[in-house]
Amino acid sequence: MSDRQFGLVLALPAIISLVLVVGIPGVQTLIYSFQRVPLSDDPATFVGTDNYGKVLGDESFVESLVVTLQYTAGYVLLATVLGLLFALLLDQPLRGRGIARALLIIPWATPVIIAGVMWKWLIDPQVGGLNAVLFEIGVIEDYKPFLADREWALVFTILAAAWHQASFSALLFLASLQTLPNEIVEAAKVDGATAWQRFRGVVFPWIRPMLLVVVVINVIYGVLQFDTVWVMTQGGPGDATTLLPILLYRQLFIFSDIGAGSALAVMLGVVAVLVSSIALILLGRDDPLAA
Amino acid sequence: MASRTLSRPVLRKRAVTALLYAALVLFAVWVLFPFWFLVNSSFMTPAEAVAVPPHWIPEEPTLGNYSAILAGQVAPGGAQVGLRVLTALGESFAVGILTVVANLALGGTAAYSMSRFRFRGSRLSYFSVLFARLVPPIAIVAAFFVALRDLGLINSRYGLVVVYISFTLPITILVLKNYFDGLPRELDEAALVDGASRLQALWYVIRPIARPGFIAAACLVFLESWGEFFYALTLTNQLTIPPVLAGFRGFFQFNWTTLAAATVLAVVPPVLLALVFQRYVVRGLAQGVAK
Repeated sequence: MSDRQFGLVLALPAIISLVLVVGIPGVQTLIYSFQRVPLSDDPATFVGTDNYGKVLGDESFVESLVVTLQYTAGYVLLATVLGLLFALLLDQPLRGRGIARALLIIPWATPVIIAGVMWKWLIDPQVGGLNAVLFEIGVIEDYKPFLADREWALVFTILAAAWHQASFSALLFLASLQTLPNEIVEAAKVDGATAWQRFRGVVFPWIRPMLLVVVVINVIYGVLQFDTVWVMTQGGPGDATTLLPILLYRQLFIFSDIGAGSALAVMLGVVAVLVSSIALILLGRDDPLAA
Repeated sequence: MASRTLSRPVLRKRAVTALLYAALVLFAVWVLFPFWFLVNSSFMTPAEAVAVPPHWIPEEPTLGNYSAILAGQVAPGGAQVGLRVLTALGESFAVGILTVVANLALGGTAAYSMSRFRFRGSRLSYFSVLFARLVPPIAIVAAFFVALRDLGLINSRYGLVVVYISFTLPITILVLKNYFDGLPRELDEAALVDGASRLQALWYVIRPIARPGFIAAACLVFLESWGEFFYALTLTNQLTIPPVLAGFRGFFQFNWTTLAAATVLAVVPPVLLALVFQRYVVRGLAQGVAK
């Protein structure tokens, strides 16, 4: 067997697996999006772009799109900025830094769905502790059922997801900061640069490729967020937290409309792939972990 | 007395240091406050959990919530939570371990091939892995749902493992390819000169040296699998632990303290895994995501 054949044989099982569990389901979903799919084994019928028209023409889609954009904006901002601040803090030579870096892993290792469970009950007015803390320090005058309020529900579903994701961002920023040669920072210090000047002139340019990576990942996770919202509000109160993935879930599994659900799924999938592809092109040859 | 004799730059430096440590404390609170509340509740009786103001340490700590779950019994206060948790945790372990094994076998060989050999379609293979990495799970759920339903594999452990390969295999291949790329080719070549076959070189030379890479990939895959919620919700009937935890909503079905204990049991395995293999995991995360 030649090297070429050997390489192909080694790679083939994984490639065939990916075709079976990503390629075919992807194409099948695309096909469903142009069909009416009955619940029974009856054959599906081709309906052109009806499903897309149905999804896009629905009022709830536009509302959900707006909520999704608001959610994503808040989530990306919080997860990225907090992550950057954590990374900068844990990059300082402080005592207890090792323990703090271990702490940093914990929210990331906590599954998003469990973060949702924890936050849901933490802010619950009957058993939760947050109301009591806010009440004691005088921020609120009465225990509030936050998740029954449209705005607060959005805020806290963002916060729970960002609690997990800020750690993820920070781990990536920290990995990038650790590749920054110390001499460069020291040289800037010797030249009399202030902390802010060092950040603007040295640190920020160094981590910019990683910032792009983190923001893109966070945008995609924001647009596709399902877990925290499902466990905390199920899209409510009303439709206040009905993100597009929640809408997709309803179409597929509540209304059993495989066609319309697939049309929405295709649109979400295309957006996700496009956003990350554009980012990859923007990143070009820059290596976010240049060593 | 001291402040007068200190020069301004020294004072400034001390103030900055104090601020940094204050920030470190805030960071620790951000990470630990939700956990404190969770763990605290898990040792309370349902009656104590609704006390106003809340108790920050249980006054009458009880192991009743844990013992009910571990014995698979109805928990204090008549809650049904305990009945399903233990089996769901077991299923989560089974699904996680099977997914990891499949990933290491399929992904290990493919990553090695992509790192070492050029063959017809090798670039296409690599790009198909990158592309598969970008396809969001939620976008192809409809096809999985219909396929598993028609095959009678809804709520099947093995069905879920096959589905989980779709989003974990690309991660494994990218992490491991990255790791193999960092190992000098002379290693393989020396083994071949010594009369080993290419397969022997991979198994006896590369596999032991690449252990850190395999550990990183295994941890990342297990964490992804353990916390996966969307597919577990839609393709099973609360088979694994995430949909079980998310399934309890009103106080009529359950009490929070038992759910808290169940949540603790569900969050300990991934957090422990991430902490024990911290170095490998962080490295794998940064390289698998950013490269």
